[in-house]
This record gives sequence, C-alpha cells and structure tokens, in this order.
Amino acid sequence: MGLFVACVALMARGQGGQTPHGLSIEVAPGALTLEIGEAAHLSATVRDAAGDVVDDATVVYYSRARRSVSVTRTGRVEAHRPGEFTLIVLVPENPGDRRRRPDARARVEVPVTVPLPPIAEVAFRDVPGVFYAGTHPRLDVLVRDTVGARRDDVPVTFSSGDTSVATIDRFGYLTLHDTGTVIVTAAVDTESDALTIEIVENPVTALRLPMGADTARTGDVLRFTAVATDASGREVPGVPVRYAVGGETAPAIVAAGAPAQIAADGRFVAERSGTYTIIATAGTHTATRTVSIEPRDVARDVEVVGRGRVLDRRSSDLWVWEGTDGRDYAITGTWGADGHTYFWDVTDPANIEKVNEVQVDARTVNDVKVSADGEVAVIGREGASNRRNGIVVLGAGNPREGVPVLSEFTNQLTGGVHNVFVDGNHVYALSAGRRYDIIDIEDPRRPERVGRFELETQGHSVHDVWVSDGIAFSSNWTDGVVAVDVGGGGLGGTPERPVELGRYAYPNGWNHAAFPYRSRSTGKFYLFAGDEAYPYGGLANDADEARLPFRTAGWIHVIDWSDWDNPREVARYQVPEAGSHNIWVEDDIMYVGFYYPGGLRVVDVSGELMGDLYRQGREIARFVPFDPEGFAPNAPFVWGPQPYKGHIFFTDYNSGLWAVRLEEKTGPGRVIGEPH
Amino acid sequence: MRSAGSGVFSFVLLGGLAWWGAGLPTTAAPPDSPVRSYYVYVCAESDDEVALVRYGPGGAEVVKTIRVGSYPNEIEGPHGIEVDPDGRHWYVSIAHGLPFGSVHKYETGTDLWVGDVTLGLFPATLDVSPATGLLYAVNFNLHGGMEPSSISAVEVETMTEVARIDTGVMPHGSRLSRDGRRHYSVNMMSGDLVELDALGFEIARRLPLGAGVQPTWVTTPTAAGIAYVTGNNVARVFEVDLGAWRILRTFETGAGPYNLDVTSDGSTLVATYKNGDAVGFWDLASGRERARMTTSRTIPHGVVVTPDGEYAFVTLEGVGGEPGTVEVYHVPTAERVDTVDVGKQAGGIAFWKTEG
Repeated sequence: MGLFVACVALMARGQGGQTPHGLSIEVAPGALTLEIGEAAHLSATVRDAAGDVVDDATVVYYSRARRSVSVTRTGRVEAHRPGEFTLIVLVPENPGDRRRRPDARARVEVPVTVPLPPIAEVAFRDVPGVFYAGTHPRLDVLVRDTVGARRDDVPVTFSSGDTSVATIDRFGYLTLHDTGTVIVTAAVDTESDALTIEIVENPVTALRLPMGADTARTGDVLRFTAVATDASGREVPGVPVRYAVGGETAPAIVAAGAPAQIAADGRFVAERSGTYTIIATAGTHTATRTVSIEPRDVARDVEVVGRGRVLDRRSSDLWVWEGTDGRDYAITGTWGADGHTYFWDVTDPANIEKVNEVQVDARTVNDVKVSADGEVAVIGREGASNRRNGIVVLGAGNPREGVPVLSEFTNQLTGGVHNVFVDGNHVYALSAGRRYDIIDIEDPRRPERVGRFELETQGHSVHDVWVSDGIAFSSNWTDGVVAVDVGGGGLGGTPERPVELGRYAYPNGWNHAAFPYRSRSTGKFYLFAGDEAYPYGGLANDADEARLPFRTAGWIHVIDWSDWDNPREVARYQVPEAGSHNIWVEDDIMYVGFYYPGGLRVVDVSGELMGDLYRQGREIARFVPFDPEGFAPNAPFVWGPQPYKGHIFFTDYNSGLWAVRLEEKTGPGRVIGEPH
Repeated sequence: MRSAGSGVFSFVLLGGLAWWGAGLPTTAAPPDSPVRSYYVYVCAESDDEVALVRYGPGGAEVVKTIRVGSYPNEIEGPHGIEVDPDGRHWYVSIAHGLPFGSVHKYETGTDLWVGDVTLGLFPATLDVSPATGLLYAVNFNLHGGMEPSSISAVEVETMTEVARIDTGVMPHGSRLSRDGRRHYSVNMMSGDLVELDALGFEIARRLPLGAGVQPTWVTTPTAAGIAYVTGNNVARVFEVDLGAWRILRTFETGAGPYNLDVTSDGSTLVATYKNGDAVGFWDLASGRERARMTTSRTIPHGVVVTPDGEYAFVTLEGVGGEPGTVEVYHVPTAERVDTVDVGKQAGGIAFWKTEG
C-alpha cells in the first residue's frame, strides 16, 4: 500500500496563488495498491489558508471506476477488479458562493493500483493421443488466475526435458526428433504443468493427398484430407498434417494479393482464378495436388421493373405477400415522419399502385410484417405522442378494400417497438430494445402477451427477431445472435416458455439482423448475421448537411450452426465501400441491402461457404437506386430486400419501394479484377 | 375549478388565450421587442436534434440545429438538457439506448461534441451541481416494466458515472438545491418526492404526495427553500417546504401539469399543462393562477424562465409529423410574444445565456 500523502489546494485563476477559499486537502494514503478483495481507508484533512484544520469540512469521495474499486462516503476503499484507477476526494463549493463555477474548493486524485491476480493454474489440454517421431504437433495450454479467470495475456514458457528427443518453441509447437520419453513443461510465473509424452517410431512411409476434382470455380470449397500410410499401405491415424497452398493466378491478374487459402483441416478456396498447388506435410513426408480454378462467372444485370416512389419522407421496412383476393401486395413503413404505413398492389410490378395507407400515432413505423395467411399485418410504433407506442394489428386481407385497425397493444411496450415478427398466431415484438415479448393474436382484436425472452448479460440489447421453423433468432449487438426454441427446437420450448438453444457473438459487436437458412445445395444450416455500424461518426452539425447520406460499415457474417453447441463463423460478405443492413436468403441466393452507396446486392451462396465471399466473385448483381428527387437526392440507402415471384422488391430509405429483376445471363459476366 | 385556499375564478376567452385570476393586477403590455437576446437549447426528441433558439430584438429564431446521438437512422430521443452552471458546456440525455441511454456533453457556442457516458434506462431530466460539478440524471425507464429505477451521478470532466442510487419507479425531474448539495426528483409511479444527499450519494428523505398521485416534475428550490411539484394525473401542483419536509399548499391546475419553473425572485410559477394544451402563470404570493394561455400547438412539455424573470420559453411536442414549437411568453403579462418551430417532439429545454 502506498503511504505518501496527496495535498492539493485549488488555485483560482488570477488570484496570484491565493485561492479565494484558501483551502487545501490532504489525503492519506495518497496512493493505494490493493489486491482484489482488499480494503483500506482514506483519511482526509482539510486546512484553511492559515494551515489550521477545518474540523467541520464536508469531504466527498467517489471513484471513477466504481465497479472496479469502490469508495464509501467515509473513505473506505475496496478493490474488485485489476487495473489502474482513480479516486476523487474533494471539498464542495461554498454554499454561499453563487458564482457560476461548478468546481470544488479543493480536490485531489488518489491513484489506486489493483494488480492482476496471480496465476493459479497452468494446464495442458487437448493433448494428442499419440506422438510420432519426426512430426510437429502443437500443444495447447490453459492458464487461469486465482479468481478463476482465463488468462491469455501472459506469456507461457515452454521447455523440454530432453532436447535431443524433442524441442518446443514459444508457440507450443513440438519438433519430435527421436523416439523416447520426454517431459515438456509449460510455466507462467511460479505455476507450471508438466506433460510426459511418449514419442514412438513414426511408421509413416508415404503421404497421399486424394482429390475428387482438379477443376473448380472461385468460391468453391474443396476438401483435402491427407492420408499417411505405413510400409504395408495401411493408414496411420493421428499423424499431424500441415497444409499450405501456393500457385499462380490467371495471367491477367496482377498483384492480386493472397488469392487463395487453405484451412488447418484441409478446406481450400480460391478468390482468384488460376492454378494452385496444395501441399500437405507430415514430418518429412509431403504430398501435393494442383487444381485449376476458373472464374465463378455468375454476374447478371439488373432491370428496374417498377417503383412505388416515396419522396416526401423516409421509408423503412417492407413485406410482400399474396392477399386473400389472390393479388400481390406490399406494405412499407415510414421513418421519422408522421406514422404512415403504405399498402401497394404489386401484382404487376411494372405498375405498382398505392392502394391504401394507414396513419397511426407515431413518428416512425420501423417494421412491418404480415401473417402467413395474409390476413393480418403488424406494425411497430416509435415516437407516439402519448409515449405508449406498442404494436398495431391491421386487417390486411384485402388492402384494396380497406385496412382496418383491429387492435393496439401497448402494455409494457411503451419504450417503442423497433422490430416485429409474425409467426403463426404469435407476434414477436421488441420492447425498447431490451427484450422481445411474445403476443398471441389468435384473436387479432384481443392481443395477449403470453411470453417473453430477455438476455441476462450486463447491458444487453436486442435489435431484431426472426422466427423460422419454431426457432426465434434474435440479433443482440454485442451479445450476437441468440437462438431460442419456441416450438421447433426440440427442447420443449413454446411461445409461452421459450428455451435458449445457443448463442454466437462475434468481436465487432455490431449484430443487427439475422436470417436463418438451410442450404439447398449442402444441407448445412447457415445463419446469415448482418451488421449495422457507423464507426466513422458522420452526424452533421449543420441542418443542410443533415440531409446528406452518412458513412456506414459492417458486413454479413456466415455462421455454420449445424450444431447448436458449436457455431462456427466460416465466411463473410463484406462490401468495402458500404455497410450492411437487412438480409434475405432464398434458393441459395442472398439478397442484402447496403447503406450508401452499396445499394442492393445479390450473392450466390450455393455450396459450402468459406472465406471472403465478396472477393470470390460470388456477387451476382448489384443495383444502386439513385433518385434525384429522393428525400435525400441521389442518396441510395437500401433498407431491405425480399425476393418474390421472380422479382426482387426492396425499400430505399430515401426513395421508397422498388421492384427489379435479374436479367437472363447472356454471356460471361464481368467481375472487376478477373480476366475477360 | 378550485384553487387551494381561495375561491372560484372566472375566465374569459380572448382570441385563444384564457385569462384567470380576477382581481389580480397585471402589468402593462409586453415590450414590442426585448432589449436583450435570450438563448435556450431545445431538444427535438423525435428528430434527434437540439435547436439553439434565440429570442431577441429580431424575435424568436432558430440559430442553429445540432444533430445528436450515435446512430443516424435510429431515433435515439434527446429528452433532457441542461447547461453547466459555468456556461461552458451543455448536456443532453439520449434517452433510448441499446438499451441503456446516455448523456452527451457539448461545448456551448461551438456546439461541438465533447464526450458521453452510458447511464441507465431512459435517462431523462438532469442537472449539474454548482458545489461539485457533478451531474445528476434520473433514469426514467420508459421501457414498460414498473420496476424501481435510479439516479446517476456523473463526473463531467471525464464523463464517468461515479454513482447510481436506487430511487423509485419512473423517476423524473432532476433539480439541485441552490447550494448543489441536495438533489430533488420525483418518482412518477411511486408517488413521492425524493431528496438525495448529493454529496454522499444516498437517499435522505422521501415525501409521499398522496395516494395515486403521479408526479412528473420538481422545481429548483427557491431561496426560501420551497419547491413545487406536479401532480400530473390529479391536476395539482404541490408547494413543498423542504426544510419542514411537508406540503404547504396545493394548487388546482389545468389538466396534466408536467414541467414547472419559477422566476428567480420566487414570485411566479410557470406550469405546462400537457393534457390541457395550456400554460399557467401562478402568483405565488396569493397562490392564484393569474393567467392561463392556450398553446399554439398540442402537448406542451418543457418550460424555462429567463434569469431576469422576463420571459418563459415553453416547448410544444405536437403530434406525428408536426414540428415541435418553442413559445415565448412575457412573464409579467403572461402574453405570448413569439413562437418558432423546431424539430419534432420538442421537449427538454435549458436556458443558456443573455446578451445585451
């Protein structure tokens, strides 16, 4: 514990070194070093200008990191978490002084150091079952401290008991020189673990690299599995194999960077066309295979078919469905306006007609959804003048004839409903971004809440929810995507009693939307998780600038979630110049709305997915919807798409509803960076 | 309608303005234009904007609009606003969050963003202590659950939350005593006035306001130690003696008294009537409402009186796509002297400075 005394007198400007108050405060100790859980007391002494102690001075204590180190009003300090922190001790302003100066009369900062807890455990884990001479397996170590936290921030020192048998580098890679027994040690500070490994004769005499195909396209994932065999030709299990790839891109592709990759398990994918050689190494044995990669060539043009222009306000989400009268309709919301929802007849996408509109007490109708039978639409309200918000249930069976308001449901949804989903007779409605409530609308005139789901994490927040086959997938920013059984997950979950299946969070913390999809071509269950992010700031202080588009970031994360307990992020679709928004996947094609200036993107997601889908040439089409008369002119801002009956409908924030379609492919498509 | 301790009053409609307080003298007509210029910051909750409004010799005008928040296409809801007692910075609560709201700090004049701090659910009203410089914000929690919420204390130099004190259900209104050592707020759904020891970060006293009463506001205490508290759902304002910790008088008001401010001399209380679309001017010596003005747009929300007691600025939320409005009243005459539109759902308002 530090033992010096902090002494500060507040020096008022222009007072020639004399403060009007003449107070000083001394705090002992002036600095602290505390272990986690340790406590100490601060003692403050206030003196006047003459140096005399002011007995009745009020002293205020507070911590700038109260969850890490706390201090009571009497100066008792307790350490809770490691780090460097600051406590403040001050004497408040004189009550009779009415100057507009909110400074304390005297104030001192007390630094507190809480060291990281000592390491308590170092342990080898996932140790291979067999060690063959001549190979290079890697050893993994788990380090924990005295409070049980996993510690990846401390360097582990590895050593070998017999370097003639085995050596080990600082990453834990072994080089097994000879047969025999050796003790390998991992140490951190005073803690260590010793592993005795038996190195056996390496029976491998050959390494093969079987291959099913020697030609593929960019983006196709090829699986290589090296097979080590002994002198009798039998496969030797447990031999560690390293994979590498080299090769040449097509002659017209110059300075392509890294055009291909291979994973540790032998999965290979190329981003650029060319000729690539896969190298497998096991000890002294190697095997190679060479494959030819052709351009994926999926690009197609987009044709604008029709529009439902909305220029006097911003648009939000959409839903397209077949009405009970057999005609096709779209519903679109509006943002930051006066609570309108528009209904469009899109039976003939070339002649989109607005057939109805509903206005509710709201500024924003951010989300709109329609039941599978087309009878009921549900919209979420934000900015209601009575601050009750909630959802509004509409009769949507025949929008041309009318769209009656069937009911409103605001109970415990007063903070605003940013997103909704309709699944059967249930509405999943977000409540102020904190949780989602599940509301039974079997009788749409009498909605009734039957369940809810909320995370337990500190500061949790939910932005979206999507239900598919009895599983609700919510998007929760830093908490990532959470899958919840509401009837189809096999854990007995129901809308009344949701049961979590699993969750997956990724590092950037921008998870904003999610679309669950089972791949038609592979049967894999992929979760396409989209970001929304504004890392560049962009809020303009000028009213004119406020109508300009702003810069966004974020991408689509592809998560292989075939096993609820083992979600793996396997691929991304990242457009360099724009940030992602809403997603739809159908028939192995992904449709994504991107914020300015990315527009609508259509992406081939067939086959196994791995790596950077954008760079692999999987983009089928892009369409950027400019409108010089838009709410913000020529500021494309695609909110979200929905493929429907051969067309792609999407809303644009600044210009309303669009219908486009992919043109037939008539020849080789153009992919920037690929030869033509 | 009854006023505590007084008789029944009559009123006369005069072209949209209703006068109360028969027998009370009113001063002469307001000046054609003010000699000085007054500046206020105004929140537009459904446009994520703060407007700097000036009322001066040229009338009322929006000098500047400052976009606030972090997500350009999420409505984040600037709700409460206050200027630091030193006048160098202003603070705005961004009520909707992910899910926690925040308070953002800006420099007055340049209106450049300085920093922010994440607080609790729906931080609403806030105030800054002249004793310590600490900011106090109530976490209103408009998220639907009737559960106790909190008051946050923030060190504004570093924008760090240094304390969070449990208070009651849906705390609102946040005003410090003149010496900055006591903080007052009300719990809308707990029905009480709460005194917080602002230096020790502990609740000191609670004053129940009556069964079922839903208070929404408490004023900065007067020099005499009096605070005024709204009974929003019962159309009353309670006059509270903070020293004795009891209600002295109860004023029957227009429907939905929501925000209040008192002239610095303690003579006049100005009240917004959220459900009544009106503004009330109360003579505090007599306890009579001397005037009630129908507002030019619906849903009056905030009110702030200039330090010289000459003018009251009132915000009107409006409905749907309507703009918000700032009305300027001449306090001595209770006459509306000007209006200016701002962004949608004008709410929180704070006085910045006087020029001239």
